[in-house]
Amino acid sequence: MLFRPDADDFRLIGLYTGTVLYGVGVAMLVPLVVALALGERNEALAFVIGASLTVSVGALARMTLRTRATLTGAQGLATVALIWTVVPVFAAVPLLLSGHYLHYLDAYFEGMSGFATIGLTLANDLDHMARSVNVWRHLLHVLGGQGIVVVVLTIFSSAGGAIGTLYTGEGEKDRILPNVVSSAAFIMRVLAAYAAIGLPLLWLATIRAGLDPAPALFHAFTLFVTAFDTAGFAPMSASAGFYRSALVEGVLILVMVAGAFSFAIHYQLWQGRHRELTRSLETRTFAISLLAIMTLMSVGLVRAGTFGDGGDLFRHGFFQALSAHTTTGLSTVPGALFVTDWGVLAPAMIATAMALGGMAGSTAGGIKAIRVGLLVRGILADIRRALSPEHAVLVDTYHAGGRQILRQGQVKAAMTIFILFLVLYLGGGVLGLFYGYDLRLALFESTAAAATGGLSVGIVRPDLEWPLKAFYILQMLIGRLEFIAVFALAGYVVATLRGRV
Amino acid sequence: MSRRRPVRRWRVLAGAAMALAALAAIIALAETLRHPLPSGGPVVAERPEDPAADPRTEVVCPEPAPREDAGRDGPALTAEPEPVTVTSTELYDCPASWDGRLIAYEGEAIGGVLTRGDGAWVQVNDDVYAEAAGPLPAHRDYRGGNSGIGVFVPPTLAEEIDAVGGPQQRGDRIAVEGRFHRVDSTSGEVAIIRAERGAVVAGGEPFVDERLPDRERAAALLAALALALVAAERWQAWRRRRAR
Repeated sequence: MLFRPDADDFRLIGLYTGTVLYGVGVAMLVPLVVALALGERNEALAFVIGASLTVSVGALARMTLRTRATLTGAQGLATVALIWTVVPVFAAVPLLLSGHYLHYLDAYFEGMSGFATIGLTLANDLDHMARSVNVWRHLLHVLGGQGIVVVVLTIFSSAGGAIGTLYTGEGEKDRILPNVVSSAAFIMRVLAAYAAIGLPLLWLATIRAGLDPAPALFHAFTLFVTAFDTAGFAPMSASAGFYRSALVEGVLILVMVAGAFSFAIHYQLWQGRHRELTRSLETRTFAISLLAIMTLMSVGLVRAGTFGDGGDLFRHGFFQALSAHTTTGLSTVPGALFVTDWGVLAPAMIATAMALGGMAGSTAGGIKAIRVGLLVRGILADIRRALSPEHAVLVDTYHAGGRQILRQGQVKAAMTIFILFLVLYLGGGVLGLFYGYDLRLALFESTAAAATGGLSVGIVRPDLEWPLKAFYILQMLIGRLEFIAVFALAGYVVATLRGRV
Repeated sequence: MSRRRPVRRWRVLAGAAMALAALAAIIALAETLRHPLPSGGPVVAERPEDPAADPRTEVVCPEPAPREDAGRDGPALTAEPEPVTVTSTELYDCPASWDGRLIAYEGEAIGGVLTRGDGAWVQVNDDVYAEAAGPLPAHRDYRGGNSGIGVFVPPTLAEEIDAVGGPQQRGDRIAVEGRFHRVDSTSGEVAIIRAERGAVVAGGEPFVDERLPDRERAAALLAALALALVAAERWQAWRRRRAR
């Protein structure tokens, strides 16, 4: 039986959403400072307007929706989904004011793509976009990727233990440390540590590629953010191909891999338990699927005669395979070539890599390696059971931070999410077919949106039909939050309309 | 256990209507203030269809040069005399057809001149923003994303390029003649032009952001409102802490 939500439900959901908006408004001061420093006057005004609107709504919510009630699990999930829906509304304001988006819907799409770390873009003339606007696009990756919900609420720590439900709602499956606040602090430490290494490396690599030190710093920042958050926006329309540098690509590969690892594995490494890398079911599954995808992609590229040289094939093939598998979306190859020069098998493998995705508890999207690993283990266990004597008791285990018993419930849950993702991928594909796009392209683009993959074969462009834009936005939201939080929000809407008192 | 206080439906609907009204107001404000103001600057052009950008468009590729001819110095087997003037879209649509052929290409130098060995890499865009319309946001003629290709230019041309396109800057317009390579055997780069000669045909220039008085007024008003609300919220929070 559905009960109509109570006043505290609305107050709590509104209060936490408003609090996060407050934080997002403050975050807009970063691109504002950049705009002022670089003399981008109109963009600076755009950020003043965006920040003012966002902070105003946040402050109003905090003043009017105070309550002593504490957040429940369902409220937390609905709050996260609402935050992910509402933040792009405000993030889109300075984007639209930048003059690079045709309609508000396009700017909202960009805001969602940034916040959900997707990387698909509807920007017109990206190559002339103001630096501050580009910084904002990439800052959205950080806000969404590193879990703005937890970070902001950690700052406003009156939320106390209640933020645990928000944390899990964001798709962060592992509480790395028993306390969510310390987990969030650890995530920030990891980001800072990798930034301390990755940023200087990318800066030096882009200088070596031929950029002057000042613009190279901007490029290094944007590239680091997009790679570590497995996101996909790039400062140039040519993406990683702009630099024409194997060195830049090499550093990006390292940062993408670091970004695709779950923070739980980072924690194990931080503690000096390096064997976790080779023993964890998730890292093993990821490594095996990457190897399989790379192998099949190579076969496809050889068949298509795309590369005459094995070294070139490996350089571009591996970068694309890894970028897709980590759901980053950076590319050394213009997207159109996936259709016109990469044959059929290689692009299919890229789409498969995006669909499978990275590791749970990281910024990567898709089905996730741990679920794939559990499914395979579950199938193997069933086969073993079928071949064993009838009364034999078999206990299957896997390694994830320690030895774990494989339970049917886990396999079932993994299968449920697996099927839901497939339906989501197919949904966008069918709508693409309805608008006359080729099946391969429609499925590729739909997967890129839903799995947060971000690579494109050209369907996502400012000219795109608005229902497809809207559907891709929905796919990004659902795919990033992995269904449950969105279902919870939808449940609240249904309960409001049809629930009993 | 605390008593449930279900909210009446009409109040929820009223709240939802208010939220939608606020959303509409935000969108309307942003649309009104977007660059440039409706009252000034170039007018929005009717958006012409751009079939080349639509992946549904059927593309008929010219006859490819035989594979063994790819990259050779002699003329490829083609009906058209070389160099053939091409666009980046044509090259991406039919990379095998153009592989190794001598082509002419023109566009705006973008982002930077990346000096490397005996030349430099330059991204050269031939989209509408590199043409007459000019870069955004100096107008409201939206025609989609950028389109361009990487060109390896000889050192003489690299030195000649003075301005590259970017924020608030229109880049030099360069014209090159060279061979298109699906995969460049020297550098391993994909879909590039190795220019044999070229020249700057038009100098780049900075484009000035118009002053937007309406945006300035809106920013001042909204900033004052936000500061007032933040001050009120902080004061309320301080009072609550004191009361405890």
